[in-house]
Amino acid sequence: MGDSLSRLAAVAANTFRETVRERVLYNLVFFAIIMTLAGLLLGPLSIRQDEKVLKDIGLAAMDLFGTLIAIFIGVGLVSKEIERRSLYPLLVKPLSRGEFFLGKFTGLAFTLLVNVAVMTVGLYATLLATGRSADPLLLAAVYPILLGLLLVVALAMLFSTLTSSTLAAVFTVGVVIAGRFSDVVRNMQEVMPGTPRWLSGILYAVIPNFRNFDFKDRVTYGDPVPPEVLAWVTVYAAAYIAVVLGLGLASFRSRDFQ
Amino acid sequence: MTRSLAVLLLLLVPVVPWSQRRIDEHAGAYRAQEEVLYLWSGEQVRRLFPGFEALAADVYWLRTVQYFGGERLFSGNRRFELLRPLIEITTALDPRLEIAYRYGAVFLCEPPPSGAGRPREGIEVLEEGTRNVPGSWRLRQDLGFFRFLYLHDARGAAAELEKAATLPGAAFWLRTLAADLLAKGGDLEASRRMWQQMYDQAEEGILRTHAEEQLSILDSREAAERLTVLVADVEQRRGRRPEQLEELRRLGVWLGSLEDRAGVPFSYDVSTGKVSVARDSPMWRPQ
Repeated sequence: MGDSLSRLAAVAANTFRETVRERVLYNLVFFAIIMTLAGLLLGPLSIRQDEKVLKDIGLAAMDLFGTLIAIFIGVGLVSKEIERRSLYPLLVKPLSRGEFFLGKFTGLAFTLLVNVAVMTVGLYATLLATGRSADPLLLAAVYPILLGLLLVVALAMLFSTLTSSTLAAVFTVGVVIAGRFSDVVRNMQEVMPGTPRWLSGILYAVIPNFRNFDFKDRVTYGDPVPPEVLAWVTVYAAAYIAVVLGLGLASFRSRDFQ
Repeated sequence: MTRSLAVLLLLLVPVVPWSQRRIDEHAGAYRAQEEVLYLWSGEQVRRLFPGFEALAADVYWLRTVQYFGGERLFSGNRRFELLRPLIEITTALDPRLEIAYRYGAVFLCEPPPSGAGRPREGIEVLEEGTRNVPGSWRLRQDLGFFRFLYLHDARGAAAELEKAATLPGAAFWLRTLAADLLAKGGDLEASRRMWQQMYDQAEEGILRTHAEEQLSILDSREAAERLTVLVADVEQRRGRRPEQLEELRRLGVWLGSLEDRAGVPFSYDVSTGKVSVARDSPMWRPQ
């Protein structure tokens, strides 16, 4: 068990280094530039709505950049190793496919955690630099964003075990967009009157509901986010990620690399 | 060959801005219509940004402010046609963005050249705001103010102020103002109190400047009304109206300025004895 964990950690650490080497964290520089410019310019341009706009931009950037990283790095984590054939020598070593797969997930999850953490610090720094308070409630939106990103990584990895990295990216983007429209899916009868209720019910249950991870508006307006809601969101994310990673692992294990 | 190609490319460089200018000239009359093409209903725009509605609202809010500022500074007709649709999209994306309702209402209600001169639409924007943010006493207060200031509906205004007074955090004076409106039917003093409140509540910026302008307009109107009273007094005492307003000064009955707050001399009609703000003054407003 201990050996298995240390091998998983080695893969995770290697994945983290690899993603950093791929200049993923360059988006942080871009984020810093956006926040600085927003901090300087938004006051007069927005008629004193700069605090709200700064929070909106900061949280939306975490969500958007994180999702892009999760999709485009996530689909390459496994498929690139297969396409480059660098996976074969790894699997010859005493490293199970499960350790490899989960290690890759953990590595990218850590990259996203660092990314979100640095962005959060950047957002707080901008708020303080513009004379606003460091509102701790923002963390109630940041945490669900991170959970949503982990789910995106899991989906991207699942699809990458089933098809090419390009198609995997297309499928992941599709599912993420559908998940952000989950309210439309639930009320599909109103948009497409002929749709059977059971179909919209199944789709609503199956498609990951990315709306669950969106508390940006609430915290921007200072509305409290009850801890039990965050707990349920955590349970939802953990369960969904576990199922998706399980499916991905099953698919990865069943692949024949001969 | 390479040299001639480079020369040809260099010669083509100024063609780009030149042709762009010609296209812009041609499009001039259609520009507003083209802009409208980019505007859909708020709900449609909302569907384009799942999870990022607040950010999209900020973008539309900034665009609204820029549009209004641009029209005010550079447009010839200043009809602010896109102000209402832009406000509607912004508030559909973020129904709790109070400033958008307040800003939209002020500049939709305000007569040209400062605003669009469509007070009914401004009131509708505020009504929408009170529906979307029912707990905001300020929006309800503004609805009352604007009903009085732009529709001259003292009874409706008083009813809105009464409702505002019942909301959490509401200012204590809302009830007395409502009672005054019902008792007196509204006067310059009520208008002054309203604009003074809007001035005090607004942060530094265009809304505050606007409230300040309105207070100056009221100052000018009040000064003109006082001068009219003095002219009547002089007529009663001396049996004839003063030929010019300067006479009031010479007689020592008026020691203040004979210009309004914008520095434009008051207009004086000898035949009626009425003193008013000159029509060419920025302080002039239809009454």
